[in-house]
Amino acid sequence: MHQATQASESELSRRAFLAATGGILTGAAAFGVMAQAGAAQRHPTRGGTLRFATRADISGLDLHRNIIYLVSMPLAAINQGLLDLDARSEPVPGVAAAWEATPDLQRYTFQLRQGVLFHNGREVDAAAVKWNFARMQDAKIAHPLTRSALENVQEVEVVDKYTVRCHLHTPSAAFPADVVYYPCALMAPDSADRADLHPIGCGPFKFAKWDRNNITELVRFENYFETDAEGNSLPYLDALLGRPKREDRVRLTALRTGEADLIDSMAYADAADFATKYAGKFQTWEVPTLATSFILFNLEKGPFTDKQVRLAAAHAIDHEAINQAVFHGRGEVARGFYAPASPWHAQGVEAWPPYDPDKARFLLRQARAVGTEVALQALPTPPYMQQTAELVQAMWAEVGFKVRFNLYDEVALNQNRRERTFHADSTAASYRWDPDGWFSRQILSTAPATRANSGFRNERADRLIAEARRTAERQKRLELYAAIDSLVNAELPLLYLYHLTLLEAGSMRLKGYQPSVSGAFSIRGGGIRTAWME
Amino acid sequence: MLAYTINRILYLIPVLFILTVVVFSFVHFLPGDVIDVLGGQEGVFDPAVRQALQQEYGLDKPLYVQYLVWLNRVLHGNFGTSLVTRRPIAIEFFQRIPATVYLALVSTAISLMIAVPLGTMAAVKRHTVVDYAAQVLSLVGISIPEFWFALLCVLFFALYLGWLPSSEYYSPLDHFGLSLKHMILPAAALGIRQAAITTRLTRSTMLDEVQKEYVDTARSLGLPERRVIYRYTLRNAMIPTITISGLQLAQLLGGTVVVETIFAWPGVGRTLFEAIISRDFPVIQAGVLILGIAVVVMNLLVDLLYRVLNPRVRLA
Repeated sequence: MHQATQASESELSRRAFLAATGGILTGAAAFGVMAQAGAAQRHPTRGGTLRFATRADISGLDLHRNIIYLVSMPLAAINQGLLDLDARSEPVPGVAAAWEATPDLQRYTFQLRQGVLFHNGREVDAAAVKWNFARMQDAKIAHPLTRSALENVQEVEVVDKYTVRCHLHTPSAAFPADVVYYPCALMAPDSADRADLHPIGCGPFKFAKWDRNNITELVRFENYFETDAEGNSLPYLDALLGRPKREDRVRLTALRTGEADLIDSMAYADAADFATKYAGKFQTWEVPTLATSFILFNLEKGPFTDKQVRLAAAHAIDHEAINQAVFHGRGEVARGFYAPASPWHAQGVEAWPPYDPDKARFLLRQARAVGTEVALQALPTPPYMQQTAELVQAMWAEVGFKVRFNLYDEVALNQNRRERTFHADSTAASYRWDPDGWFSRQILSTAPATRANSGFRNERADRLIAEARRTAERQKRLELYAAIDSLVNAELPLLYLYHLTLLEAGSMRLKGYQPSVSGAFSIRGGGIRTAWME
Repeated sequence: MLAYTINRILYLIPVLFILTVVVFSFVHFLPGDVIDVLGGQEGVFDPAVRQALQQEYGLDKPLYVQYLVWLNRVLHGNFGTSLVTRRPIAIEFFQRIPATVYLALVSTAISLMIAVPLGTMAAVKRHTVVDYAAQVLSLVGISIPEFWFALLCVLFFALYLGWLPSSEYYSPLDHFGLSLKHMILPAAALGIRQAAITTRLTRSTMLDEVQKEYVDTARSLGLPERRVIYRYTLRNAMIPTITISGLQLAQLLGGTVVVETIFAWPGVGRTLFEAIISRDFPVIQAGVLILGIAVVVMNLLVDLLYRVLNPRVRLA
């Protein structure tokens, strides 16, 4: 399936007028779709109920108002979008069977499958897509992440019942990644008034019940359009029970006592030897591109406005020591945003300043900044953010900084960022389907998040980001992103630390399950859609 | 008795009013607001969008207006909706109360079932092995942190022995047997620690009581020792035990965040904790109000129980 998608992308570059036609090719690949909803039969033997213990729970049920994180929030299984994700976390056909772009990459036309249904029986047509996109663009309703995915959309045109065309403000090769079901999940237009109580999506599972921090109950959607290679309808499972258990050890205990069939986000200390220690008793799955952690510098206020001080701070960081102490050797040192396991990993990125505490001391003395007070902040969860910050605090103190480290809850931390009262932040960002999703939000000087986080302003970086966005050819884009990451490593609005690798574990009774490289558990032809309980 | 009860209930009104004003003010003194939570890691950084959202959630109005709007709603029996989940408080918070009440009652019952016989025996058989064992056990119980004891229980009974489930809650109304099985470990983790405190208290009050003249009189009249101890002495010694158990029960009704987290128990403690973290003030206000009522009602019940146990107790 992936090769088919890649083939389509090569064709794109040659012709330069199609942004992507992977949908058509992918449709002919191993996993298919029903021509008409309800036409395929269930697999005769595969089914069961999967009990999934997760670190997180959703904040609310409205699919546009809340972020339904597709790695650790079971409700994500009710979602589907214009486009879906595959095992490599690349956009592939979802509700839209195919799409094409105009040569200027400013208009995208999506051809919808016929007969795709929302869980209440209403058909997913072009009018429903238009209504959804309008709601996702409403600042009073949509979550900022969802809204930012569609901020480039100028107009959504209903061409006919099964054709929808998006007119963009500026050319974008990244647009297909913006309409994937995370964060742009489609919900039934006639269900908006009960969206906070009973969400109606069009994904492989239907909502049944949610009791916050206790249970999410989903049941198989019998009319879901996807099928397996033999033409059996997906998903195989009868039901999915999400059980949020915030503490890592509580989830692990639930797995070991047989109360859970699948757990996410194992603690790094446990993950280090779990696979070998419990080989034959439990299964494990590596998720090598979950997210990337970094130290964010405030370039507008405080000591890190001085580049020399940032260089000193970077020279003081021993990446390998953090890897051993915090990640038990399971993290991968990050020199750019994308990990080697990602299709968007760029070669040739010039790395950040190497670990050299003597040079850090020298630079600090030269900048007359020895003893400078630094306000370092982090969230208490996930724990690696705090643990990393504590090590960074020690490393910086060793070269002459005076570090004041504070843990804040999300509200206070965001307020500090907004009011520019922090100097550095130990944080992370989850995987983005297209590099533009990272660089245009966190590096581009005009992006609201950049302004509120690092405050980085660099004309060259802005130019490269804009160029990469309007470039259709994948290899050329990769080169541009490598150049931007090299610039980031030289200017240091942030210091990349690690690509976070997550370990999932499950019972031996769970069959056919494989998450995507970024941890998504509901993916085309995989994840929980092809899982069943023995 | 009726006048006393009505009087106590009337006291409740100013207490709860002050409580809600204090909590409301406190929540608004915390940095940030719920918009920061709704924005997540992406954040709401555009001032125009922030203003629009504050308007949407009614956060742009002066504090006293926000409070009066809330109070007006509550007086009409409407606690409003959570700012985060946008679901009615009735679902968001009140749904948690049965799980919390269930856990609080069972753990208090476990505590009393252990503490009263053990404390009494320790006092009656003073300076014997029973007394020393009771004292050592209660000292150990007080010294062990609650979260550590809870983890030990999970490790031993759930993981190694496999006798009991390690977490999750089932309503006793839906699955009684299953609910009881899931209840044992969290209730024991809370109850045994409480029992340690109550055992010491029962022992010391019993020791005071057995030295009183009415006990000597009862013995000199030839009443059987069992009757002297359990019918007369224990009844009087129970007053401080009832007081402390009432306070413990009220505390448990306020939620136990750590134990709820370890056992994935959907109680009011975690809900309130998360509401505070996300500045979801309608949920916080409703929670504080309900818990305030619970504490006052518990105190009232304890006072009424005094009168049952000891008719000499009268209103001052």
